[in-house]
Amino acid sequence: MASKTVEFQVGQGSEMGVGGGGALSPLAPFDIDEPELGTEQMLINIGPQHPATHGVLRLVCELDGETVTSVTPHIGYLHSSFEKLGEYRTWNQIVPLTDRMDYLAPLIYNCAYVMSVEKLMGIDVTERCKVVRVILMELDRIFGHLLWLGTTAIDVGAFTPFLYSFQQREKIYSLHEALTGARITTSATRVGGMMADLPEGWLGQLGEFLDNFPKTLAEVHHLLTGNQIHIGRTQGIGAISADDAINYGFTGPNLRAAGVPYDVRKDRPYYDYETYDFEVPVGQHGDCYDRYLCRMEEMEQSVSLIRQAMSRLPGGPINVEDPGITLPSKTDAMSDMESMIHHFKLITDGIPAPAGDCYMPIEASKGELGMYVVAEEGDTKPVRWRVRPPSFVNLSVIPKLAEGHLVSDLIMINASLDIVLGEIDR
Amino acid sequence: MADQQKSDLDLVADGPLESVGEQALNETSSGDPSLHPSVESLLERFPDEVQRYQIAAGDQWVVWVGPDRIHEVLTWLKDDEAQAYDMMSDVTGVDYGGGRPVEVVYQMFSTIHGRALRIRCPIPLESMETDSVYDLWKSADWLEREVYDLFGITFNGHPDLRRILMPDDYAEGHPLRKDFPLRGRFSRAEQTRLALTQDVERFYSTEDLKAGEPQEVDTDELSAVPENASDDLSGSDLDDGEGL
Amino acid sequence: MGLIDKIPGSGSTRTEGGMFGPGSPTFLTSKVDALINWGRMNSLWPMPFGTACCAIEMMASAASNYDLARFGMERMSFSPRQADVLICAGRVPYKLAPVLRRIWDQMPQPKWSISMGACASSGGVFDVYSMVQGIDTIIPVDVYIPGCPPRPEGLIYGLMMIQEKIRQESLSKHFEHRAEDPALVARPRASEQEVIGLSGPFGNSTQQEELSTGAPAASTSIED
Repeated sequence: MASKTVEFQVGQGSEMGVGGGGALSPLAPFDIDEPELGTEQMLINIGPQHPATHGVLRLVCELDGETVTSVTPHIGYLHSSFEKLGEYRTWNQIVPLTDRMDYLAPLIYNCAYVMSVEKLMGIDVTERCKVVRVILMELDRIFGHLLWLGTTAIDVGAFTPFLYSFQQREKIYSLHEALTGARITTSATRVGGMMADLPEGWLGQLGEFLDNFPKTLAEVHHLLTGNQIHIGRTQGIGAISADDAINYGFTGPNLRAAGVPYDVRKDRPYYDYETYDFEVPVGQHGDCYDRYLCRMEEMEQSVSLIRQAMSRLPGGPINVEDPGITLPSKTDAMSDMESMIHHFKLITDGIPAPAGDCYMPIEASKGELGMYVVAEEGDTKPVRWRVRPPSFVNLSVIPKLAEGHLVSDLIMINASLDIVLGEIDR
Repeated sequence: MADQQKSDLDLVADGPLESVGEQALNETSSGDPSLHPSVESLLERFPDEVQRYQIAAGDQWVVWVGPDRIHEVLTWLKDDEAQAYDMMSDVTGVDYGGGRPVEVVYQMFSTIHGRALRIRCPIPLESMETDSVYDLWKSADWLEREVYDLFGITFNGHPDLRRILMPDDYAEGHPLRKDFPLRGRFSRAEQTRLALTQDVERFYSTEDLKAGEPQEVDTDELSAVPENASDDLSGSDLDDGEGL
Repeated sequence: MGLIDKIPGSGSTRTEGGMFGPGSPTFLTSKVDALINWGRMNSLWPMPFGTACCAIEMMASAASNYDLARFGMERMSFSPRQADVLICAGRVPYKLAPVLRRIWDQMPQPKWSISMGACASSGGVFDVYSMVQGIDTIIPVDVYIPGCPPRPEGLIYGLMMIQEKIRQESLSKHFEHRAEDPALVARPRASEQEVIGLSGPFGNSTQQEELSTGAPAASTSIED
C-alpha cells in the first residue's frame, strides 16, 4: 500500500483531513496511509447488438481496471435451427439452407454439403464439376477473407481497407450473380453436379478480377502490414501455443498462425488438391498479427489456385449422367413425356440414399468445415444433418485468448478469429 | 393455454419411449479391421467395449463403443503413442427416433499419424448420460454443451454444462430429438410472450461467470417446469446476482 | 417547397448578401411541417440492427459502390439513443426478441423502422421453433423490404419510401400517429390472436391439431 505525504492548511472542520484525524495538529505535516479503497471486479456487457462483435454475439467481461480477467461468451442469439429444418427436407432442398449459414463464403458451404452427400451415396462427379467447384471454393475463400479484412481493419481504426475490400467484393458479387442470379445466397450446387454450367464469358470476367485483385491486396499490405498502429494493436495479442491450439480445437488460419501446418486441403485432400501447387502459410506466434498475415497470404495462394484450376478446366458435362440423380434438361422436360415424368419423379421422391453416415471435412475460409450426414436405407431426407462449424469451435477459445488483455484487445482478438454468427448459432 | 402445455409436457415427463437397444445393435460389423491400425488395436485392447465396426462412405472407419467405458477408450486413443488422436474435431448426437438409443458421435483426427476415426457411442434412453471428454480435449467444451442443449444428454464431469443455443430457461424440451415438433411445443403467441418476458440482463453476476465449478444440472428439464411456466421464468434463480 | 416572398421596399443593404445573389431576398417562408420534414428526411440516422445475411448487404449499401451517404445516412448510429430509423436486417430468433424490443424502446421519437428481408418480415424459410415469425409481432414496422437478401438497391428504395412517408407527415399530428401505449413497452406489439393468425395456415403443431380436429389440442403431436 502506498503512503503519501499530505500537507494542508487548517480548515473549518476536521473532516477535511484525509484520515479525518481531528486529534492531530492541523498545522504539522503528517504522514498518513492512503485509505484502502474498496476494489471490486467490474462487469461489462458487450452485445448482443454491438458493431464490434461482428454479429449478435454477447460477451460478458469481468474487468480488473481495464484488464480482462474473464470473458463469458453467450451465443444462440441467431439460432435458426438449420439442422432440425434439414431433417424435413430432401437432399437437394437443403442446399439453399447452407448458404444462409455462412453468408460470407456461401459457395464453400454449398460445395461442402453436396460433397458429403455425394460421398455418402457413392456418386463420382465429373472432372469438370470438380475443377469448377475448386474455382468456386477458392473464389469464396477470397470473398470471406475480404470481409474479415474490412471489418477487422475498422476495429483497429482503419476505415480505408473496408472500402477497398468492398470494392473487390462487389466484383465477386457480380461473378456470383452472373453464375447463379444471386449476390450472396447462391445455392449453386446440386447433388451430382451444379445448378448450371459456367455462363459464357464468366471465366473472362474472373480472369479480369484475378488480374486486378493482387493490386488491391498490395495496397492493403501497404496500408496495414507495416503500420505501427496496426502492429501495436495486433502483435503479441491473443497468442496461443501450437499444442493448446490443437487441443482447443482451433482450425484454419487461426491454427496455422500458431505454427501447426494443418490444412485439410493438404492433410485430407479432396478434389485433387494434392495435384495443385500451393503453399500453406504458417505463422510462428499464434497472435492476431500472424493470423492477419496468414489470411493475407492465403488470398494470394487462392489467386494462384484459381489460375491453375482455370488452366486445367476440362470440357464435357458438368452433371453426372445418371437419370436417378440429375434432372433432365428443361427443354427435354417440356417437350418429352419420358423426361417430364422423370423430372416429376425426381422432384417429388428425391434421391434415395444408402444406410450409413459420412463426415466430409473441407477447408473453409474459417477452418475445418465438416458436413456430417446420417441416413437410413432408402431415405430421401437425412436422419441427421450436422455441420461442424469452424467458427463455433474457434470462438470457444476466446476466454483463454482474452484473459489478461485489455478490453480494446478483446475486440481485436474477437475480430481476428474471423467468426460468422450464422454458422456458430445455426 | 397453460393446461394444454401441462398436458403436452406431462407426456414427455412420463419418460422416454421404451428402448430397443439390443434390436438396434443387431447390425453386424463389416470390413477388414487390419486395414485401420487403430481399429485393430482397439479390438485387441477393448474387445468387450467395441460393439461393432464398419466402413462408412467408402473409406471412413466407424467404431461403436458402449457408454460404460467410453472415457477410458477415448483416453487411450488420445494418449497412446501409436494412436495419438490429438484433435477432437466434432462431438455431436444422432437421434434415430422410434425408441432407439441416441448416439454420441466423436470425430477424431490425429495430426501426427494423419488418420481419422469416428467413434459412436449409443446412449440408452433410460439413462441419457455419459462421461465428458472435456478433460482430454478442450474443444469438447462447447460441443458437449450443444449436445446437452439439443439432445438432453448429460455429460458427467463437464465443468459448465448449461444450455448454449437455446435460452437458459427454455421450457419446451430438447429440439433435435425426434419427438420434438419442428415448430416447438407451445403456440406462437405463447412463444412470443415468453420471449419478451425474458430478462435480458441475466448473467451479470460474478458468481455466474465463475465457470469451472460443476453446476447442478436438471437431467429432465421438462419435468421441472411448473404449472405456470411464465412465473418460473421471472423468478429464475439466476436473478439473484448483483444486477447492474 | 415553400414560398419565396419578395418584400418590396426592403433596404438595399439587406439584400446585398441575398440568398440567390445580389438583390434577391434574404429569407423565405415555408410551412413548419415542410421545413421540419425536409430536415428530418435528409438526415436520417439509421440504427443497423443487423443479424445475418441482410446485414452484409446493408454493409455493401454503406460501402463505396452504393454509398448511403448520398441520402444523409452515412452516419450509422450504433447507439439507439441517437438513431431515427431502425433497420432490422436478418433473422430474429426468440432469444433476440427482447433485445430488439428494448432497442426500439430506447430510440427517441420520432422513429421509424424497416424490416429488411424475408426473415425479418415473416420468418422466411425458418418456420421453426426458434424464430420470430415476423418482427411486426414485436415492434411496429413502417417499411417491409422483400428479398432474401434484398439487394442494396432494395434497401435504398426502402429508405426512400421512409423519406416519402416523412415528407407527408405533419408535426401537429405526428404524435397522434406515433404515440405508443406505455403499457406496450417491452410487450409484444401484436395481440395473441394476431400472432396465432400469422402463424396459419401452417401454424405450429398445437394449432395444426386444433385446425384438423376442431378440438383444442390436448396431446403431444409428433412430427417425424
